[in-house]
Amino acid sequence: SFKISHSAKGKEQFNDDDFSEFEEFDDEEEVTVKPQTKPSHTQNENNKQVKEEEIENQQTIYRKLDDDDDEDEVIVEEDDDNDEFSYFADEEEFIGYDSEKVQGGSKTPRSQEEPKITIAKVPLHLRSNWDSFYLEMLMAAGLVVYFLNFVFGKGKNQKLATAWFEKHRALLESNFALVGDDGKPEIENPGLRKESENVYILWCSGRTLMEGMLIELRLLKRQDLVAVIGQILRPSTDQLIIKVNLDEMDNFVFACGTKKAAGKLAKEMTDITTYCPEKKSGDKFGLGAQFVVHSELSEVAAAILRDHKVMAVINKNPELFEFFHFSDQYSGPKQQEEAQPTKLPQVKSTLVFGYNFPKDSLVSDSLESMKPLMQLTLYLIDKLSHLRLSKDAKSKAEKNRSKVEEAFLKATHAARAEMAQSLREEKKRKERERIMSLDDPEKQRKWEEKEQKRQMKRRAPKMKTLKIKPM
Amino acid sequence: MLNHTENKRNDKFKIVRYKPAPQGTPGAPGEDPTTDYMNVLGMIFSMCGLMMRLKWCSWVAIYCSCISFANSRTNDDTKQMLSSFMLSISAVVMSYLQNPQPMTPPWSNI
Repeated sequence: SFKISHSAKGKEQFNDDDFSEFEEFDDEEEVTVKPQTKPSHTQNENNKQVKEEEIENQQTIYRKLDDDDDEDEVIVEEDDDNDEFSYFADEEEFIGYDSEKVQGGSKTPRSQEEPKITIAKVPLHLRSNWDSFYLEMLMAAGLVVYFLNFVFGKGKNQKLATAWFEKHRALLESNFALVGDDGKPEIENPGLRKESENVYILWCSGRTLMEGMLIELRLLKRQDLVAVIGQILRPSTDQLIIKVNLDEMDNFVFACGTKKAAGKLAKEMTDITTYCPEKKSGDKFGLGAQFVVHSELSEVAAAILRDHKVMAVINKNPELFEFFHFSDQYSGPKQQEEAQPTKLPQVKSTLVFGYNFPKDSLVSDSLESMKPLMQLTLYLIDKLSHLRLSKDAKSKAEKNRSKVEEAFLKATHAARAEMAQSLREEKKRKERERIMSLDDPEKQRKWEEKEQKRQMKRRAPKMKTLKIKPM
Repeated sequence: MLNHTENKRNDKFKIVRYKPAPQGTPGAPGEDPTTDYMNVLGMIFSMCGLMMRLKWCSWVAIYCSCISFANSRTNDDTKQMLSSFMLSISAVVMSYLQNPQPMTPPWSNI
């Protein structure tokens, strides 16, 4: 039990703050007997320290008293603990409570209702064992590696693209009025435009015989770790795709390239599948066995592949050559439309050149070997737009195109007829609505009569008027 | 070959500005389906990470949104990228808030 002794003198000045009474108490320290109280001591303790700082210099006597208080406190606490257990035996507190039972009194009833102890599944505490989180650390490390690779890959692609551009800038600027277009009304920064981390494009325009040339640097995805791993398993190379829109060109479709590239083109491009699906081996044209040729008119293939300039560049380093696709019926890859398209896809005469970057393009200065490719491209642009077919080749091409036209018309006849029908009905319905909306019954009646007559005429049997020529 | 300078100067040619192909035309430069696939995959994984409290799903969802970020085009809208990151990060955080037990790999029987 605690005994709190109060100094009577300072009572009337108490405010409601319970610490203030102790402050009063402090001042009386030297005169009254040493306090027995325990809890007040601890508050005393705090107040005294605060007070000490203020009155430290005048009275050093408090220091002696402070030390005594600390020791007291320690002792007092111990007594306090053992009071707790006797608490239960206190009769007034627990009415009707059989205290013997608590201390293990009678045997028999207790054993049946022995409480079944189920150990609750307490989750392991987070901080208790970090090492069991090895998988999370692995995942986090993977993320860090991914982002490091992203930064380095991005830089490498950027370096390669700018190196290529610097190497070819002079040649392009001498041939084109506009090199690089950033899409803004007046061009601020001509040059490479970044489409994605591994695709850069360069639009060149302002040259005779052509509308424009789109150069696309399709580099490897060095910034994506998954693609880098895929690249290790299935090696591929950086690609340079040049697409030229010609102003006018003779009618022919021609494609040649490595087996893989030509196969992909033949499968995807509508114009190749319609005009020259059959595949001829490259060595017939002196191209080398690994290349394949699709050509609608053999005359065109000869004109292109017998040209010694073209062959010189290709045969110098054949691994740089991927594919050519020259066509006046170019309409891009096949669209996967379910419904039969009602009109022919829009065609443009286009030349597409596909080249590969040299293997070690990043390491050594091997981009130099790509310059002849650009010169070859410009040479072929001029040559093909001036190429004139012989008469029979031209007629053959013409025949092919008209054949395709008819086949298309026949196939879509049903669909187009339906379309026309629905258009007509639509028109009629609108007209009827317009008439109905006019609240003038007279006009409505007249319109309905006219409609009736038209229906009758259509349903009536068709009679031919016979003209009898006077003998 | 026509000599270079003559090419540029004669007035027959006209400068045509670049018109980017409408969004989504196949074969246009920079057209890359992986970013869309990865976005959808990331959404699915973070959903099942959240619903079925599978921690490895949420981690895979984070990887999916990283991959779709790496392959994204410059003219892609960043909102979609941000939302896929937010979703996958919230999936991971939620699955660890619900039970802070370390992750069990998918191949161990759940």
